[in-house]
Amino acid sequence: MELIDRYLQAVKFWLPKAQRDDIIAELSEDIRSQMEDKEAELGRKADAGDVGGILRRCGHPIQVAQRYLPQEHLIGPSMFPIYKLTLKIVAVAYVLPWLFVWLGYVVFSAGYRAQNPIHHLGLLWQGVVGLVFAITLVFALAERFMVKTWAQEDWDPRQLPPAPDTDQIPRASSILELTIGIAFIVGWAIDLRFRTVFGFAGATITLAPVWRYFLCGLLLVSAVVVGLSAINLILRSWTRWTARVRLAIDCIGSTLFCWLLKTAIVVEITAPNVPPEKTLAVTHGINLWASRIFPAAVVLCLVIVVVDVRRIIRVKTTMEESGSGT
Amino acid sequence: MTTSAERNDGLYGQLRLELRRGCLTMAVLGRLRTEQYGYTLRQTLAGLGLAIDEGTLYPLLRRLETQGLLVSEWREEEKRKKRFYRLSPEGKQILKQLLAEWEGINKALNQIL
Repeated sequence: MELIDRYLQAVKFWLPKAQRDDIIAELSEDIRSQMEDKEAELGRKADAGDVGGILRRCGHPIQVAQRYLPQEHLIGPSMFPIYKLTLKIVAVAYVLPWLFVWLGYVVFSAGYRAQNPIHHLGLLWQGVVGLVFAITLVFALAERFMVKTWAQEDWDPRQLPPAPDTDQIPRASSILELTIGIAFIVGWAIDLRFRTVFGFAGATITLAPVWRYFLCGLLLVSAVVVGLSAINLILRSWTRWTARVRLAIDCIGSTLFCWLLKTAIVVEITAPNVPPEKTLAVTHGINLWASRIFPAAVVLCLVIVVVDVRRIIRVKTTMEESGSGT
Repeated sequence: MTTSAERNDGLYGQLRLELRRGCLTMAVLGRLRTEQYGYTLRQTLAGLGLAIDEGTLYPLLRRLETQGLLVSEWREEEKRKKRFYRLSPEGKQILKQLLAEWEGINKALNQIL
């Protein structure tokens, strides 16, 4: 029943990853057995109210999950899962991106390496210590003054969010990719082709010759993306092959993009009534900006590749568990 | 401001919890001399007057298994996968010791009270 799935999903969210599936399988079996007994007692199918009653009696998802967690003292078991989640959010949304970008600049920017990058790492460390201290303090105070009130409040299982299907590919993302891919191919066929000179209102922009190769590569990537998103739109879940194709096209696309940034992407800009010094300065500015964002672009591309590799591993594991070889 | 009655209720709840904790462990170990899965174990204990909710039983089973006192395996029964628990040889030994201790405490308490 959907309400039970939503409840289990909510409990699962707060459980330690290594034991999650095992605990949920056992809890699910218990709740379903309780439901069967309830149905036998009532002599009819259990409705949402009956299921809600069983779930309310089982307890709030956070309370259920915290019983499986180690007992913490400064932050008690009722608050500990939320405290842990907050620290994870800080790590993923602040510390990791910071470190990735810092590492990108250290590896790819000689100018940055000359400016004592370790000093910046020290600043990050100070920031993190301060942040963790503040979060711990807030949760310790909440533990003292708030826990009893929220944990004992009545709650309604029907207000739990729907259980998401993490393996399903959103239809909107497939349609978006399909549309962008087709738009690029059509644009390329109608006008773009191998052009490197573009005119706007009397102004002329001459792009570097490498753009021809970049656009050819992008055309190939777009063709594969169109095919892949059409398949995803039909299948709505990743297979081993589609996940591998996604990795391959993301690698090719990322390499092309980073390679383009390393070259002087604009050769010349001319515009009527604008002095050549000014257009030259704009040209230099664009090329300088492209080379400066190169480290960040490399980091971004690496993150995309890591996500793709993780998807392949997840699909492989899921298929092995379900005994499917496709 | 907490009243004296509220404080006593809280204290009673805490002491009752402490008293039940050890008893539940023994009851669970005792019933698992025969293999059972969680839900039937809960029903058996409730039927014998020692009700235990799922939020208490399953973490307890997990802890006892980690301590090596229980062993478990997933098996299919009535087309559903269930986790069956039973006492391990080490669990049998510990239960024997706990029962001896329990009898001693019980005898002493009967005299004291």
